[in-house]
Amino acid sequence: MTALLQVKGLAKSFGAVHAVKGLDFAIEEGRCVALLGPNGAGKTTTIRMITGLLKPTEGQLRFSGTGSSGDERRLIGYLPQSPAFYNWMTGFEYAVYAGRLCGLPAKAARERAKELMALVGLSGAAERRIGGYSGGMKQRLGLAQALMHRPKLLVMDEPVSALDPLGRREVLELLRELKRETTMLFSTHVLHDAEELCDDVIIIRDGQIALQGRVAAIRAEHRSPVIELRLERDAASERWLQSCETHFGDAAGEPAGAGLIQAIHVQDGSVRFTVREVDAARQLLLERLAKDRIKLTRLEVGHSSLEDLFMKVVTA
Amino acid sequence: MRTASLPVYLVMVQKELLELVRSFKLLWVPLVFVLLGIMQPVSIYYMPLLLESAGNLPDGTVIDIPMPLGSEVLAQTLRQFGTLGMLILALASMGVVSGERNSGAASLILVKPVSTLSYIGSKWTSMLLLTWGSLSAGYLASWYYTGLLIGEVAPGEVLGSLLAYGLWLSFATTMTLLFGTMLRSPAAAAFSSLGLSAALSLLSGLFPKQLGWNPGALSGYAYQLAADGVRNPDKLWWAVSATALLIALALAASAALLGRSPAVD
Repeated sequence: MTALLQVKGLAKSFGAVHAVKGLDFAIEEGRCVALLGPNGAGKTTTIRMITGLLKPTEGQLRFSGTGSSGDERRLIGYLPQSPAFYNWMTGFEYAVYAGRLCGLPAKAARERAKELMALVGLSGAAERRIGGYSGGMKQRLGLAQALMHRPKLLVMDEPVSALDPLGRREVLELLRELKRETTMLFSTHVLHDAEELCDDVIIIRDGQIALQGRVAAIRAEHRSPVIELRLERDAASERWLQSCETHFGDAAGEPAGAGLIQAIHVQDGSVRFTVREVDAARQLLLERLAKDRIKLTRLEVGHSSLEDLFMKVVTA
Repeated sequence: MRTASLPVYLVMVQKELLELVRSFKLLWVPLVFVLLGIMQPVSIYYMPLLLESAGNLPDGTVIDIPMPLGSEVLAQTLRQFGTLGMLILALASMGVVSGERNSGAASLILVKPVSTLSYIGSKWTSMLLLTWGSLSAGYLASWYYTGLLIGEVAPGEVLGSLLAYGLWLSFATTMTLLFGTMLRSPAAAAFSSLGLSAALSLLSGLFPKQLGWNPGALSGYAYQLAADGVRNPDKLWWAVSATALLIALALAASAALLGRSPAVD
């Protein structure tokens, strides 16, 4: 596979604030990549540098296939977080205008606009002024105008964050269809969207890459067994729960249980153990519970989700 | 990319003109200029009548105001354009860049393969068309009514003063565009450009020998062209060249400024 976009050492500072501190990643042709991270991690700054709206302080972006024109903006279709149009134009006029700015002749632009307005489900509203559009309609128009020139890379900044559940569904469905045709990069702080749609994720935190790779690989690699205990809420159990970390912190040090329990997370009335091996850990826990005469209400064995991993990575 | 920039620029100019139509600027700005233009000769013609009907004069007062020359009336019309007209133009053009940048509409345009010079240039072209159109309409209306009510003025004088004054207004509009790119607030842009224009006019009025070449002197030359001919044509040509040069520089500066930070959100 060839990398459509190669990013090396990309950094941006605003005065003393280092918003992005050296990102390295590549986007391969035909894949859907999510740029994931909490608010303020530098997602929007990164996206804006890729689209050319911001000049990087350091680092470089290399697009393959820029050809002789040398203007990489031709390769990109961009949908900002909340796209702003000209409210006095109709949706159709805006799409045509966007196409003509990318060098399409008038007739081709009109045909392409008609086609895309139908694709994004705006045919009925095409002749209405954008001023009267809803948030979801604007987002869909934003997609249509970004696709006018058949960009190789569709870049989107939080494409669904500002939408209600219904609008969100619609846009996600659309993106799923578009995935077949173009390479996509979008930023989001919602893990679920990334998981549902993407092949690759890049998790950034404080302007640095915390984790990147294929969703499936990350899931397989970082999946670890989890044992969750729920106890009755009497005084003895509460005490046991509170002292849990010291108990099993020790246990981890014992030769038999060395490294067996990797993490302990106490939440009111329950505790989650991230373990290396389920059987041994379960045995250890049950013995301990029996010995301390703790009233157990539930014991559940499962796996950590991508959500847990995300939380771990971004709060670490 | 170079080969494609002219058609893109033309498409952008079309869009700007459509915006002028849809926002009714193409209607009300020329209308204000026409009203201003007509008011001058009409109010001078009816001045004695107005004074008489004001009613607080003692009986038997003889009002004898010498009728001014037609060319003087035209020069006065230009002064009207210089105050109210210029304010209207500044108001109409103050937000064309900063408005789009503040809303984010500009960033959606500038991620496309479009040069900042085409972007600024298209806005400048449309604002200039508005300026020249409004000025011509207003001035021609004034000329017509002056001819009817007060006295004929030769077309040559009208044309010369129209061109000089149009260049002066073009300069002011270009400055509004430059300040509108530089500053976030449209009101601040309008204020800065009006302030600069007033300062330049004032300076060239105070030091005509030293500063007769600056754009602010153009309005004075336009009055002279309308009324009784320019006293020192050399300086006029200097002023014309200086203005053209400054307009070009302002456009280049606006495009460069916009290129440095296409959006301000």
